[in-house]
Amino acid sequence: MMPLSMADVGSLVSIKKISGNDEVRQHLSELGFVVNEEVSVVNKNGGNMIVNVKNSRIALDKSLANRIFI
Amino acid sequence: MEIKIALAGNPNSGKTTLFNDLTGSRQYVGNWPGVTVEKKEGRLKGSEYKDVIIQDLPGIYSLSPYTLEEVVSRTYLVSEKPDAIINIVDGTNIERNLYLTTQLLELGIPMVVALNMMDLVRKNGDKIDVKSLSKEIGCEVVELSALKGEGCDGLIKKAVALAKGNAPAERESVLSGEVKEAVESIEDIIKGSADDRFIKWNAIKAFERDEKAVAALNLSSDKKAKIEEIIEKTEKDLDDDSESIITNERYNYITNITAKSVKKGRAKGELSVSDKIDRIVTNRILGLPIFAAIMFFIYAIAMGGWSVSIGTAATDFTNDVIFGEWVPGFFDTLLSALNVEEGTVLYGLIQDGIVAGVGAVIGFVPQMLVLFFLLSILEDIGYMARVAFVMDRIFRQFGLSGKSFIPCLVATGCGVPGVMASRTIENERDRKMTIMTTTFMPCGAKLPIIGLIAGAVFGGSPLIAASAYFIGIGSIILSGIILKKFKAFAGMPAPFVMELPAYHIPSWVGVLRATWERGWSFIKRAGSVIVVSSVIIWFLSAFGTVNGHFGLVDNLFEDETVITDEYVTQLADKMNIPEEDVNAMDASLLASVGNAASFVFKPLGFGSWKPTVATVTGLVAKEEVVGTFGVLYNYDDGEEEFGEEGEQIWDRVAADYTPIAAFSFMIFNLLCAPCFAAIGAIKREMNNAKWTWAAIGYMTGWAYVLALIVYNIGGLIAGQVSFGFGTVLAFVALGCLLYLLFRKGYVGEESSKNLNAVSANA
Repeated sequence: MMPLSMADVGSLVSIKKISGNDEVRQHLSELGFVVNEEVSVVNKNGGNMIVNVKNSRIALDKSLANRIFI
Repeated sequence: MEIKIALAGNPNSGKTTLFNDLTGSRQYVGNWPGVTVEKKEGRLKGSEYKDVIIQDLPGIYSLSPYTLEEVVSRTYLVSEKPDAIINIVDGTNIERNLYLTTQLLELGIPMVVALNMMDLVRKNGDKIDVKSLSKEIGCEVVELSALKGEGCDGLIKKAVALAKGNAPAERESVLSGEVKEAVESIEDIIKGSADDRFIKWNAIKAFERDEKAVAALNLSSDKKAKIEEIIEKTEKDLDDDSESIITNERYNYITNITAKSVKKGRAKGELSVSDKIDRIVTNRILGLPIFAAIMFFIYAIAMGGWSVSIGTAATDFTNDVIFGEWVPGFFDTLLSALNVEEGTVLYGLIQDGIVAGVGAVIGFVPQMLVLFFLLSILEDIGYMARVAFVMDRIFRQFGLSGKSFIPCLVATGCGVPGVMASRTIENERDRKMTIMTTTFMPCGAKLPIIGLIAGAVFGGSPLIAASAYFIGIGSIILSGIILKKFKAFAGMPAPFVMELPAYHIPSWVGVLRATWERGWSFIKRAGSVIVVSSVIIWFLSAFGTVNGHFGLVDNLFEDETVITDEYVTQLADKMNIPEEDVNAMDASLLASVGNAASFVFKPLGFGSWKPTVATVTGLVAKEEVVGTFGVLYNYDDGEEEFGEEGEQIWDRVAADYTPIAAFSFMIFNLLCAPCFAAIGAIKREMNNAKWTWAAIGYMTGWAYVLALIVYNIGGLIAGQVSFGFGTVLAFVALGCLLYLLFRKGYVGEESSKNLNAVSANA
């Protein structure tokens, strides 16, 4: 397992775990970040990243990308 | 009987577009999630639907009350219970959108799903089997393209019929297996505590330990314990917390449905056109230069001094021709027809007070409209959301989020739209902080002040203008660091998470509407706040006591019986100016007030009445500072037009101020409370008198402290100011500033926890 922030641009990865407090996890899950979901990395910008999840583009900062494990 | 139909759906799924379609209303639509923050009501178009009210709700991802939008929407749906819901689902992003749908279905309110953006779905090569989808989720599904207005009639017919029928069909639960059993046993326990229709919703909320929903049920502690027992057992069996269990159940259910009824044209992970554009414009290396280039073009067109600068040309025309000749000319004719002569109170009030004051502000409207138009295009195609992403990395270092960047940028043109642009920042602390600091940027109206000081005292050095921008940016950065350490702003900037909308070709109607709406709210303010303040300033500058006679100072000065040589000598003495410089304004109320208040600015090096008065008139409009100087330094307007930067009085100003005092004056005027128009905008965005005063107080305090330090310490180093009380004061202020910058800030328990720091008090 590694944090999503380490994934390569263009890669398609599957979410294994989401850490952090309930509120953040819940919000991420409402946006489509759930375990076993496949997400693709559109772009990275110094740790901040744009990912494609459930057909929508979500911009995340590094702190959130570090909580999502793949 | 009135029928209420609510529009609910994900952010940026097209609710407001549909709302405008259905009601014929003109609400602002943007290609940016979270445009609608408050709910809006409208009556349905068409005579047969006269009693149908449509309610536009803010976009939400779920019914859990975490963000302000979710609180507003959930409270409405749960407590006001509309007769029917139209759930708008973005067809291009169906899985995530259906997550909310599963929650809405549990509310037990008749519902129809409007599958929006079907034109895009087809273009993408996706296929959605509407019949099968409708059967699976147990609710009518209608295809729609709100932007093109396709499918609206059919949708509304269904919704109205459902609302009148008022009996939602029995539906299959989204839950399965052990979770389903657990929730069903909770249903048995709470039976009777709530309306039968909402039993399913309440049971699931109880399972999720949703405090508000449980409190509303008024359960006995015995029942609560039983429910808790069920939850704990399920959590243990499934090795997860109850909220996540439900979330997973919902997504599993959706995956099953979409597997049957949705066929994607594109393989997972394949790049769309928007993705490809994003690769370039949010690129680590190219992102910033691209953005800088785009902004340069926008400013060149709206504010620059070139032949392509439509905005500048239009504003010059408004200032010089419309408000320079036409309007005053019109009032001249009108007033003379009414036998109101020049020199009377009424004439002065209308021409010098209202027309001149309002004209000064309205002059900026064309420039602002051009700027707004171009920015609206960027927003509508979806680029602004990317800018926030690109800038976040840099702004985060100073405790601001990337979303704070756009207001600061807009404020370099005009502070009013800058403050208004802060509305897109959903985190309340970040938003307030942005409002408080964004007008530090030197706006267009402050440029004449910079020009005057640079020209008169510094030989026109371009370094002065450059320093003005650095002072503005530096003030924002330092304020960010300092304010973040106070309890009210404490905590990391909210984690940045934002849906980036797909790029689309701008809808011109929407762009024009957005442009007009922003421009209009500015004009409205010009008609209220600015009229009043212009009248007050005019009154103070036009009236005064001359040699014991009170009245219009201009008239009194022409009266030989009032003006005696002795009086002129006396006045010159009082105002500390040479006798030949005495003019009517020196006797005005404004001059007396300025003289009395000038001690405030003594430590800053410009404690005489002229700069004091100029600073005060700067509140009406910043370019008034230079205009006031023109009057006070006796520029005779008979010879040639007074230059925008006051070229004609440069030598007189230079004689009166040391360079460091002039620089201190400039700093204070750039940073202190903005003009009334911007204060009005701050008041509206803060929506709270206390915070408005706090913002104005902070800005003025910051300006004072900075000018104090620069004048005294800078002057001491440059050898222009000798050591004295002011120096001590400046060193104390510098010490306090450094302490505030480097102290350990307030660390709250919850500071990093809140994703969107809105307290959810629904």
